[in-house]
Amino acid sequence: MTTTAPADDITGDMVEPATVKRGRPGRMLIGLGVGIAVLLVGLAVPYVVTDTYRMSLLLDATILSMLALGIGFMARHLGMISLGHGAFFGTAAYAVGVAITNWGWSPLNAVIFAILLGSALALVMGVLVVRASGFGFLMLTLALSQALYQLSVQISAREWTGAYDGKLITYEPDMTFLGLTQADLINPGLFWPFAWSALVVSGIVLWVVGRSKFGTTLEGIRENEERMRFSGYNTFLPRLIAFVLSGSVASLGGALFAMNAGYISPQILGFTQAGDSLIAALIGGFGIILGPVIGTFLFVYAQANFNFGGNLHLLTGLLLIVVLVFMPGGITGTLQKVYRRIRGKDRQVSDERGRSGRDIASDRADASELRAENEQ
Amino acid sequence: MKRQLIAAVAALALGATTAACGSASTNSGSDGDSDTIKIALIPPTSGALAQFGTDAVKGWKTAARIANDNGGIDGKKVELIIKGTDADPATTLRVAKEAVTKDGAQFIGAVMTSPEHAALNAQLEGLGALSFNSLGKDDALVGEQCSKYGFHIVQTSSMDINGLADNINELPGEKWAIMAVDYATGHSAAKKFKAAAEAAGKDVVMEQFAPLNTTDFGSYITKLKDSGADAVFAVEYGADGVAFVQQADQFNLDDQLKTVLGFNMVSEPLFETLGDSIAGYYNNVGYDVDADNALNQEFVKAYTEDNGSAPYYVPADNYLAAETLFAGIEEAGSTDPAEVADALQDLSLDSITGEVTLRGADNQLLRDSYLGEVVKADGGLKFKILSDANPDVTTPEPDSACKK
Amino acid sequence: MNAAQVLNGLALGSLLMVLSSGLAMIYGLRGVANFAHGALYMSGAYIAYSVSDRMGFGLAIIVVPLALAVIGVVLELAFFRPLQHRSHIELGLITFGLALIAERLVILIWGEKTLRVRPPEFLQGTSTIFGVEYPSYRLAIIVIALVMAAALILWLRLSNVGLHIRAASQDIETAAIMGINVDKVSLIVVSLGSALAGLAGTLAAPYIALDPGMGNAFLITVLIVVVVGGIGSIAGAMIAGMGLGLIQTLSTVWSPSFAVLVPYLALTIVLLWRPTGLAGKRIS
Repeated sequence: MTTTAPADDITGDMVEPATVKRGRPGRMLIGLGVGIAVLLVGLAVPYVVTDTYRMSLLLDATILSMLALGIGFMARHLGMISLGHGAFFGTAAYAVGVAITNWGWSPLNAVIFAILLGSALALVMGVLVVRASGFGFLMLTLALSQALYQLSVQISAREWTGAYDGKLITYEPDMTFLGLTQADLINPGLFWPFAWSALVVSGIVLWVVGRSKFGTTLEGIRENEERMRFSGYNTFLPRLIAFVLSGSVASLGGALFAMNAGYISPQILGFTQAGDSLIAALIGGFGIILGPVIGTFLFVYAQANFNFGGNLHLLTGLLLIVVLVFMPGGITGTLQKVYRRIRGKDRQVSDERGRSGRDIASDRADASELRAENEQ
Repeated sequence: MKRQLIAAVAALALGATTAACGSASTNSGSDGDSDTIKIALIPPTSGALAQFGTDAVKGWKTAARIANDNGGIDGKKVELIIKGTDADPATTLRVAKEAVTKDGAQFIGAVMTSPEHAALNAQLEGLGALSFNSLGKDDALVGEQCSKYGFHIVQTSSMDINGLADNINELPGEKWAIMAVDYATGHSAAKKFKAAAEAAGKDVVMEQFAPLNTTDFGSYITKLKDSGADAVFAVEYGADGVAFVQQADQFNLDDQLKTVLGFNMVSEPLFETLGDSIAGYYNNVGYDVDADNALNQEFVKAYTEDNGSAPYYVPADNYLAAETLFAGIEEAGSTDPAEVADALQDLSLDSITGEVTLRGADNQLLRDSYLGEVVKADGGLKFKILSDANPDVTTPEPDSACKK
Repeated sequence: MNAAQVLNGLALGSLLMVLSSGLAMIYGLRGVANFAHGALYMSGAYIAYSVSDRMGFGLAIIVVPLALAVIGVVLELAFFRPLQHRSHIELGLITFGLALIAERLVILIWGEKTLRVRPPEFLQGTSTIFGVEYPSYRLAIIVIALVMAAALILWLRLSNVGLHIRAASQDIETAAIMGINVDKVSLIVVSLGSALAGLAGTLAAPYIALDPGMGNAFLITVLIVVVVGGIGSIAGAMIAGMGLGLIQTLSTVWSPSFAVLVPYLALTIVLLWRPTGLAGKRIS
């Protein structure tokens, strides 16, 4: 691994704008204000979108976005690409099912339990995997989450997970989740406020953490883990905390998913689900916090509209390659580039990148930027 | 600052576009009577089950053609809305919601797997649509997962296995081995078969379970050979079934066996792939293509005209679903799902499988099950029906867990 | 435990050995875990189905690896070479996209139906070895895989090209400075690696049933084999592949549901105990 190690992380291009200055409280306040505005505006969506089907698509995308948000956080701040966050999403979903159906817990307690369990799993898995980087991390997260999948479909797990048949969640008839009955929870318009608030709040939390001192430490580790270690920083703990935090967000998504769907299919822990979420996040772009969310919305839209004859993966495969080859910052990254170009700040950006990135990375970044420019 | 601005603008833009799309379309529910009978078909169009999905649609198409040629059902035209899924319950549910709320479908058919049906059954009443299940065999679908609006046209696993158990004495072999998939159906089939075999005075010398998606059956087959069994009861589906049959052939397992009895293992779509090595295998059969009744002969003729080949159980069971639905609509004199559901309770009808009754207590259609042997016929293979078992014998009492 | 079960383990191990040595070669040189390897293997099996249908299995075993070698050349020239300055993980994700496309193409060409390939006439049926009756075709797989493994190791150790491959896999930049034509070496390695995936697919075709999920089913196992063997080590991957095949088969005899978990357990244990894998970074 000697010479190949440095280039094993993702390059600056995929997470490019992380060099923005941070720490000024004014910016933070503006950001929070924007976040709260988005939250309030979003709550009005069910009043505008009256069609149940479209509403359920928006809701699906919102819930899956939390998974992508978790994946995006690891990629953005640590350059670590995870194929294992589906494990936290799925574990939390199953935890809701088991707590409600098998143990007769109230839905609210079940959701809290699910988030805690998902986060605890992230902690255990994190201890095993965060020391690895690049491919090691990718494959370990993949392998451990697939091991979990294999466990979940074992016949001996049938009582808990329903094995291949999936898990149907059934409540005591008088039980409600924050005032909603089981029939209400299935209704996308009524469930929307929970999902939307959860997504926006998670987004704001991750954004604030990313801009804090802790975020700076993470980026230092991303850029040069060895240097950080030699400078006396503990590099293991920050990575573990980031992993658990991103895992908790994915768990929250999984818990809400189970509440809304009322049924958990074993595919939730499968290889395809893990790959799809990662692809959605990549296509959206890791550069800004919104990237994976936009990617997920596009993915859900494509899944609903372009999946004729099962050709969805043909399209996502092509799109993934096009994005990675020609626009490594994903859709949002490319939009930002266009925006900066219009503002005439191109030079400054590539200077910034040259400072933060490696030589190879910035050479290539310039080349790909040229390519991006030619395309415009 | 720029980033926040972009974030905000993007969020608003996203919200605005989706909102625009949303308000442009209307919610056309499926309440009340209407002039057309709209049936949404949601078969798997990708994955290992795609072939079955295509054939399920063919059964519905023939049924719709015959009905429309005869002036419709109760004077109303039958319209099929053909959708697709990847057999993931979440996708199927999404497509079903789309078909009902957007396309105005009142009825749903051709949904394939039991987990899809479980997810769908849970939401049928909310959707206000009826589902006709001619493919998912899980017993729980007429038990704890049953729905007032979900109708179980296909035999359940219990009915199939009871049908086989009823005929165990007709099969050669004294020392039976059980090779089943490590899956709910595999375990329940193994348990029932074992009880029936022992009741018939046979020995069950071994039982083993292979995980779903096993590709290499070498070690299982070696164990089967070592067990000294002279008959095997095999519960392996799809690619697993093909791998098992192919590898059993390579290991020369057939030499020591008098009987290989498959449960849902070999079926018509696999005959070409499996080839002559399965001639002489026994299997449960859901539908007798040679059945001697006028409705069946009419169906076989029409289906063969439409598709160039004779039907097997998948198109036939879907055709039977259409027959049941049409009988319900005629009985109700309406296409309103709630009224059709009521009319179907304990309704008896003449069908391609003779007279059948829809049991009101759990919405199970009471119909025969068959035991077949694979025989060589005109250049290919076909099932020869050896015996049929009556629903009185095969169908368990309604499950008390079914609270409709 | 009888001899037939050990042979079952050897047969599965042989398949994993061929498949993982190709993946390990590409990984060692390009530093990229080729996620399309499972798709290449599946394409190999399906092409073998069509070739053996028309011209017999004997020809398929030669034609398919050649066809896959050509695909390997395309992979190298279209992706690995022009993008070699990209980070490895980006390239790896690109191969992930390629795998998705290849899987769908296989379905569009051959359909979703499960298919079956017959071994050549003289390998149908069984032979008696170590006092047990065992399928001749499985014995042939074991022999072919072992011969291939020996030939590959000898070639890497004794030939000039082999020397260059080992040097470039150790440190591609230094190798280039030392005057080794890295582009040529890489072309050979990627096409050979793909050819090995094709060979594995061909061998697997009459062994297991062909269905569009077969690539993914093996991909994760093979990635695990390569990591366990020591990233970049071809011999390590071969040993790990054979070992895993044996352990998995023998644990199937004991408990099938435990056997499914064996690869994941092996990975976790090896990485905790010896993070660089069994062989560490060494070529053959």
